[in-house]
Amino acid sequence: MSGLRKYSAIARTSLEITFLYRTSFALNMIGSIFYVFAMFYLWQTIFLGSPGALGGFTWPEMKAYLLVAFLLNALMTWFAEWNMSVDLREGRVATDLARPMDFQASRFASAVGPVPFEFCSAVAVGAVVALMFGGIALPADGAHAAVFLVSAAMATLIKFGLVYCVSMTAFWTTGTDGITVGRAAVQNLFSGALIPLIFFPDWLRAVAAVLPFQGMVSTPALIYLGKMDTPTTALMLGVQALWAVGLILLGRLAWRGAQRAVTINGG
Amino acid sequence: MPLIEARGLTKKFRQAVKEPGLVGSLKHFFSRQYRDKIAVDHIDFSVEAGESVAYLGPNGAGKSTTIKMLTGILVPTSGSLVVDGLVPHEKRQQNARKIGVVFGQRTQLWWDIPVIESFNLARDMYEIPAARYRDNLAQFTEILGLAEFMNLPAAKISLGQRMRADLCMALLHDPRILYLDEPTIGLDIAVKDSIRGFIRSRIEERGTTVILTTHDLGDIEDICKRIVIIDNGKIIHDGDLAKLKDTYARDRVIHFQLARPPESMGPIGAGLPACEITTDGLRLSVRFDRFKLAAGEIAAAVMPHVEVVDFRIDEPEVEDLIRKVYLGQLSLSPDAPQTGVLAGA
Ligand SMILES: Nc1ncnc2c1ncn2[C@@H]1O[C@H](COP(=O)(O)OP(=O)(O)O)[C@@H](O)[C@H]1O
Ligand SMILES: [Mg+2]
Repeated sequence: MSGLRKYSAIARTSLEITFLYRTSFALNMIGSIFYVFAMFYLWQTIFLGSPGALGGFTWPEMKAYLLVAFLLNALMTWFAEWNMSVDLREGRVATDLARPMDFQASRFASAVGPVPFEFCSAVAVGAVVALMFGGIALPADGAHAAVFLVSAAMATLIKFGLVYCVSMTAFWTTGTDGITVGRAAVQNLFSGALIPLIFFPDWLRAVAAVLPFQGMVSTPALIYLGKMDTPTTALMLGVQALWAVGLILLGRLAWRGAQRAVTINGG
Repeated sequence: MPLIEARGLTKKFRQAVKEPGLVGSLKHFFSRQYRDKIAVDHIDFSVEAGESVAYLGPNGAGKSTTIKMLTGILVPTSGSLVVDGLVPHEKRQQNARKIGVVFGQRTQLWWDIPVIESFNLARDMYEIPAARYRDNLAQFTEILGLAEFMNLPAAKISLGQRMRADLCMALLHDPRILYLDEPTIGLDIAVKDSIRGFIRSRIEERGTTVILTTHDLGDIEDICKRIVIIDNGKIIHDGDLAKLKDTYARDRVIHFQLARPPESMGPIGAGLPACEITTDGLRLSVRFDRFKLAAGEIAAAVMPHVEVVDFRIDEPEVEDLIRKVYLGQLSLSPDAPQTGVLAGA
């Protein structure tokens, strides 16, 4: 595709800007390291109280689960904090639209740009934490690891699709901070980032199963740990793919509606 | 066929209405009230390739809204708009390739990275061929004097530097049409001159079509041949700038610098019955209708009575003209008689 170069230029710039804001990036990282430690100590206490497996998880598996959740949360964090209502208010959307670029594709490019850096930093931090806590379970073999990476990539796509859709509400409501915070809270619960879904009561698990969030942490984490048989894995990857595509398309649809409703400020 | 053609172009905004204060906010929270604001109201105009048009009007008249529809950023509520064969909001990206836009109130440069990198991004986004990019960049850098801040991030440069860089960025891909929305706002004279000179050179050398909104009348006289005036969403004048001046700016003022204060004004006034004469110390000013009298006749009537050291003639100010149009003191509809509207107004 000849248009690819312009989007890769955006991605590169976005990565460069992440480097410029390295202090802020580092602080963000330190914050999430504290969070990981808290989760580790919490779950360690729980596992100490009931030796053996809990909900089918051994302690080394649980540690791996927590680190996978940490890794996936670290990807696209910058983008996840995107507040489009500010862009709208300050007229940045107008300048974006004056360019020969697809709006969603540009957003995707700038969201994806920092991902390799986020991935490497999170893996490095995760490795240190893993060592401090006496190691974690690793994927059973190369094939599991490869499928995990595919699933993690899809988790990131779902995250993009979701954040983009939520951002579109900025066209219809004024402050979107509340919506952003709400999205993060719901996502933390239903993705399995706080507690593996297996520990949910049945009805709550049923709710989680029909929402897109499980594809953001639970599915890739369970694939990493080899907790699902091959047909289930295939099914869950399919569900992830459907959500990713569905949310991205929904975002495009919302954008189209928004363009009519828009009140683009400035000037 | 004109390059830009608007027919009945209209944009209606829905504005939330809120009464002032806490009670107003509460009321608004429970039942939202809206009212429609017609920012652009059935306007018709067309622009030929190569034209340079000043698009004027008081604040809130609908200038920026029109520009945003022309650029495809806003979708019109009704009416038709075709720019170089395309409907801008339907073919936004294709349209964007052919236009350059500068919004004086905000920058298109990336805030955090060096200016040159923003330009490089423009090269990639507009898919500018390498050789053309190199030539244009070298040329624009020279004319606009960008070299000294090329490696600084946009956040670290002055407003004047930013506007010059913005203008460069908007033109690197050689757009057919350049939209400028208040490009010289807040700039000092030297920067304004440099920007105007640059825009003029684009018009002359490349035949770029320019649509310019501004409050700075120097911009208009330097850049534009035609002026379109919009007020309250409606176009109230569309025509040639020179003709506007000829038709409506009939007044001239001639100022004489005198060696001594005049003894009596009587004889001068008697010689120039149709003129308004004022004195201020050693200065004597005569306002006259240039269609009725020539400057020479005024001088001939004044010189015998006083000793003139120096004199100067004031041209009509476009600024005055436009202000009068805004204030409704001057009707610009072609058939309205303009008898002495400006004299002494
Ligand atoms: N996004 C918007 N939402 C609601 N009203 C708007 C919006 N943008 C502009 N308007 C209104 O439309 C009118 C024209 O605005 P604008 O085109 O920006 O004027 P100008 O550029 O001539 O100063 C103003 O009354 C303004 O309040
Ligand atoms: Mg404006």
